[in-house]
Amino acid sequence: MTDALQQLAARVCAAKADATPLYVHGGNTKKHLLGRTCSVERTLDISKYRGISHYQPQELVISARAGTPISELESALAEQGQMLPFEPPRYAGQATIGGTLAGNLSGPGRPWLGSIRDSVLGVQLINGSGQILEFGGKVMKNVAGYDVSRLQAGALGTLGVICEVHLKVLPLPEASVTLARDTSPDEALALMTNYAGQPKPLTGACWVNGKLYLRLAGAASAVEHTAQIWGGDRVDGAIWTQLQDMTHSFFTPSAELWRLATTPTAPCSDQADQCIDWGGSQRWLRTPPASIPQGAHLNLFSGGDRQTEVRGKLDQVQQTLQLRLKKAFDPAGILNPGRLYSWM
Amino acid sequence: MHVELHPRYSDNTEAKRAGELISACVHCGLCLATCPTYLDTGDERDSPRGRIYLLKQLLEEGEAGAVTRTHLDRCLSCRSCETACPSGMQYGKLADIGRGMLNIEAPRGPVERLFRFSLRQTLSRPALVAALLRTGQLFRPLLPPRLKRKIPLRQTPGAMPVSTQPRTMLALSGCVQSAATPLTHAAAARVLDRLGISLKIASEAGCCGAVNYHLGAHSDGLDNMRRNIDAWWPMIEAGAEAIISSATGCGSTLVEYGDLLQHDSVYAAKAKRVSALCRDIADVLVDEDLTLLNIERDIGRVAVHTPCSQQHALKQPDIVNTILRRAGFTLAKTRDDHLCCGSAGTYSILQRSRSERLRQRKLEALQVDNPALIVSANVGCQLHLDEESKIPVKHWIELLDPLTHQGH
Amino acid sequence: MPHPESVLLGLSKLNNILEVDPKARTARLQPGVTNLAISEAAAAHGLYYGPDPSSQIACSIGGNVAENSGGVHCLKYGLTVHNLLCVEMLTVEGERTTLGGGGLDSPGYDLMALVTGSEGLLGIVTEVTVKLLPCPEVARVVMAGFDSVRAAGDAVGAVIAAGIIPAGLEMMDALAIQAAEDFAQAGYPKEAQALLLCELDGTAEEVDQHVEAVTNIFNQHGASSLRVSSDDAERALLWKGRKSAFPAIGRLSADYYCMDGTIPRSQVSHVLEEISKLSAKYQLRCANVFHAGDGNLHPLIMFDSGDPQQLARAERFGADILELSVAVGGCITGEHGVGLEKLNQMPSQFSEAELHQFEDIKHAFDPALTLNPGKGIPILKRCQEYRALPRRHSHD
Ligand SMILES: Cc1cc2nc3c(=O)[nH]c(=O)nc-3n(C[C@H](O)[C@H](O)[C@@H](O)COP(=O)(O)OP(=O)(O)OC[C@H]3O[C@@H](n4cnc5c(N)ncnc54)[C@H](O)[C@@H]3O)c2cc1C
Ligand SMILES: Cc1cc2nc3c(=O)[nH]c(=O)nc-3n(C[C@H](O)[C@H](O)[C@H](O)COP(=O)(O)OP(=O)(O)OC[C@H]3O[C@@H](n4cnc5c(N)ncnc54)[C@H](O)[C@@H]3O)c2cc1C
Ligand code: SF4
Ligand code: SF4
Repeated sequence: MTDALQQLAARVCAAKADATPLYVHGGNTKKHLLGRTCSVERTLDISKYRGISHYQPQELVISARAGTPISELESALAEQGQMLPFEPPRYAGQATIGGTLAGNLSGPGRPWLGSIRDSVLGVQLINGSGQILEFGGKVMKNVAGYDVSRLQAGALGTLGVICEVHLKVLPLPEASVTLARDTSPDEALALMTNYAGQPKPLTGACWVNGKLYLRLAGAASAVEHTAQIWGGDRVDGAIWTQLQDMTHSFFTPSAELWRLATTPTAPCSDQADQCIDWGGSQRWLRTPPASIPQGAHLNLFSGGDRQTEVRGKLDQVQQTLQLRLKKAFDPAGILNPGRLYSWM
Repeated sequence: MHVELHPRYSDNTEAKRAGELISACVHCGLCLATCPTYLDTGDERDSPRGRIYLLKQLLEEGEAGAVTRTHLDRCLSCRSCETACPSGMQYGKLADIGRGMLNIEAPRGPVERLFRFSLRQTLSRPALVAALLRTGQLFRPLLPPRLKRKIPLRQTPGAMPVSTQPRTMLALSGCVQSAATPLTHAAAARVLDRLGISLKIASEAGCCGAVNYHLGAHSDGLDNMRRNIDAWWPMIEAGAEAIISSATGCGSTLVEYGDLLQHDSVYAAKAKRVSALCRDIADVLVDEDLTLLNIERDIGRVAVHTPCSQQHALKQPDIVNTILRRAGFTLAKTRDDHLCCGSAGTYSILQRSRSERLRQRKLEALQVDNPALIVSANVGCQLHLDEESKIPVKHWIELLDPLTHQGH
Repeated sequence: MPHPESVLLGLSKLNNILEVDPKARTARLQPGVTNLAISEAAAAHGLYYGPDPSSQIACSIGGNVAENSGGVHCLKYGLTVHNLLCVEMLTVEGERTTLGGGGLDSPGYDLMALVTGSEGLLGIVTEVTVKLLPCPEVARVVMAGFDSVRAAGDAVGAVIAAGIIPAGLEMMDALAIQAAEDFAQAGYPKEAQALLLCELDGTAEEVDQHVEAVTNIFNQHGASSLRVSSDDAERALLWKGRKSAFPAIGRLSADYYCMDGTIPRSQVSHVLEEISKLSAKYQLRCANVFHAGDGNLHPLIMFDSGDPQQLARAERFGADILELSVAVGGCITGEHGVGLEKLNQMPSQFSEAELHQFEDIKHAFDPALTLNPGKGIPILKRCQEYRALPRRHSHD
């Protein structure tokens, strides 16, 4: 166990001892995103705890310390013709793998290639008592004990300090084509559902600024043949990077950015200014929709009042369970208190 | 799975055999989904694995009660579980031994015993069945609809071939079949005649023994078998090529003669020979040149019902489909072919409501593709399905018999 | 196997498919619906449910969630957790709650992911919504026999290195081939030391391209026999043997003890060599079935439970295999769960603090330890005793 790791654990122990909460951060790119703003003075910077610790291309597994920038992982993988399937935002090289897991951020391929939650195989974690723990592993399947690794996805660092992450990776697709056409958002949604129901190599479907974009990726023969059948203008793939990194003009800072996670068949919002991604499962909106479809979840992603709740409401049963779970990992409540919910 | 025999059974050969049979089961549960009674009740004890455990309990504890008997009674002996079992469990044999042991360990009440006794005595005697059936058919017009459906219409078998062919085969005329569906045997004889084979019957032979044996009356069943062997033996010695059955239920018992009589010092060798010679009519036709028959093929889509005895005991799930397809018929699509129709020998009498549910399910599964008629390979299934079916149910051999189509 | 004094809660009669939504490509199910029934119901819409454990004709979706079951197709299509949208659960207090939702993300902690694979220790699953996938246009299986396990293992590595993710990639050793072939009559090469089954699916062009690539790789690695399925019936037959391989071992032995370690794929030859040494040491035969794509190894130790000595040897043999799996960087269970059987090995994979963390999670959901008592997670103070106690492993 490295000294650096021991030092991180010691900081958590100390925080617990004097009951002073910590704000954990990596690249610190998401402080005001995803969750509530955490008004905690003392920070634990893990961006220095970085580096790829283990990579065996043949096993399709890569391990890296939490502070490793996404861009560093991506270039190591690209050398071997592989990639992170979940296409996380890189934010000018600042975003770290730890923060990405904590935020459960994934790119436009999510419905087909999965999220980071789907790719994570194991984690090393410091819990709220300062203990260094390992869960999962570097193998594809592991059901010994509870799946603590996947639980970290989206927990925004409130259950522990992520120190190392083991991930499943995939080969880069042999070929990729982007098709575009002008449609209304309603028409786009109908087309996305239709195309996604076909056994074709679709790995992206979004609608923004009046255009539907479809991405085909995989074996060259399949991509080419499908592109011919489906038709549309062939354009370069810039749109996907812009969505992945949220650098598309749609995302230029606005007062509020809402994210609706829903079924792809949920009716389209009548807001003129919206972006539909994930084949219809993710809708970006400027203002909250009038009504939330059955089973959908709404999150104030950025902007707005980040002192109130920014995440979807939980029922009473889940509130109780989640609070008890938080206590199970962080009995003193010192890790990112209030980041996810005010009561947590 | 290991069975620790109860000391009571240390000298009991049947119990030992049952223990050996059970050792093949590795309790994986893959048979459950193919068991009609488990699908019906969802009770583990109505599943093959559940019944195996109940019998294991009997062998280990040396006693069993009415509960064990009830769940074993509900078993159809369809042996669908055997086909599904990767581990090679011979469930049918185990169930037969189990039933025999339960008749001793958990005897039934006097009324039930008497009923089962008369059932066995009647059904295993062709002459008696025929007489009862004739009476029924005579009064059929006067009967209420429910009972009316139970009595099949009288069949006209048509003329039997008279010529002597170069090859001979023996026919098991069957008990219920000879009385209720004489057309089947006649059609088989005519078809074989066209193919150069004479079909002979030994008049002293009777029921194959299945009715008695599967109801746990083992010694009566074995007596039926010995009698048949005696009746056939001279003809076998005279060079009969095969013993043909046109009811797969009986055929599947014939192939077991050798095994069931293996400890009989007098009959063991003969029984083995009989089993080796036994073939279902389909088995013969699958190798023959069917162009010699002139067949009326334009009869609409045919739904083939494959009896359990054919697919799970004789292990020939596709043979009738193959023959009919080769003969040029259009077959209808069917579903859940592996599930029993509920006839199952005496089951339709002893477990009526369950049997009726299974029949309903089977009729639906056979008619998903709107066939013009249904064919089966076993008289029991044929009559059972025909009782409720809106479209005709026949023995498949009738389709190959030119005479049938000429309105005889 | 339930605790002797526990109440058994049977959910197999809750077996209704509540809804199939072909447009959203989802199915809402009661927990007792069998895995295979989902795909059968979806087939009418050209869809199917991805995970296909070999027990699929019998196992329930509730059990799949509890075990996070995989299947021969999970390298490409993922485990149960990857194919769930929503799980309705009863807490031990009897309160109903919905985890997950209609979209791909949910607020708060991802309790659905935590409950998946939790072996029924955290709550009772009462309804499951799964994702459905479009049935591939074409799927074909390439079957290849090899003269050595090592050659087959290398061929697996080479397929992955070529950037191909097969829909399924399975390996069997000589004993497993023999047993499976006895039952399924699929035409497996009985003389081969190792058999690979590699399924490729996708559009027609893609499958042609990949079948050619895989066939070349197998030939380069010295395949002694090669066969490519020509239709779906043949493909199903080739899989039938593999899918029945566990119970088919019952043909070779009265009982078998199925292990479930996952190992790095590159370690397979080494691990199988070690297993064959152990087999000699304990004088028990062992057949091996391997989800080669994802490194999940199922050694099937053959023994006779009527012989207490063999039983004890089988248990020690199994424990050695699990420890070997951990030693080469793997884990003690890939898909069957810990249950009672592998409680002893939990401390070889997890430290005391880690086991403690598991206990705290259990307490958060089920403070009185009511659900599946004694399973999954060893109770810490008894860990040492467990290590010392010779357990009676029972198969019934
Ligand atoms: C719409 C949008 C707008 C964006 N705008 C901006 C922007 O304006 N400025 C900007 O800088 N970036 C921005 N980003 C980029 C995005 O925040 C990064 O892509 C993200 O991946 C950063 O990771 P990080 O390491 O910086 O996370 P951090 O911000 O450091 O952490 C994110 C969360 O995870 C927790 N965490 C981090 N590391 C760990 C760990 N090791 N263990 C436990 N918990 C941990 C933190 O406590 C925090 O709650 C934007 C992204 C989007 C989608
Ligand atoms: C022949 C054979 C082959 C197999 N092949 C595979 C394979 O290829 N891949 C694989 O992953 N597994 C495999 N398995 C293991 C097993 O089939 C799976 O784990 C399966 O998911 C269990 O489902 P079940 O319905 O049988 O569950 P059960 O055995 O009934 O239950 C399993 C556990 O889940 C809990 N549970 C069940 N239902 C619920 C519920 N509704 N809520 C909460 N907890 C519940 C139970 O308490 C128990 O602890 C195989 C097993 C066999 C016998
Ligand atoms: S399939 Fe065979 S081995 Fe499995 S439980 Fe049924 S009888 Fe036993
Ligand atoms: S014989 Fe038929 S009814 Fe009896 S246990 Fe087997 S499958 Fe079930």
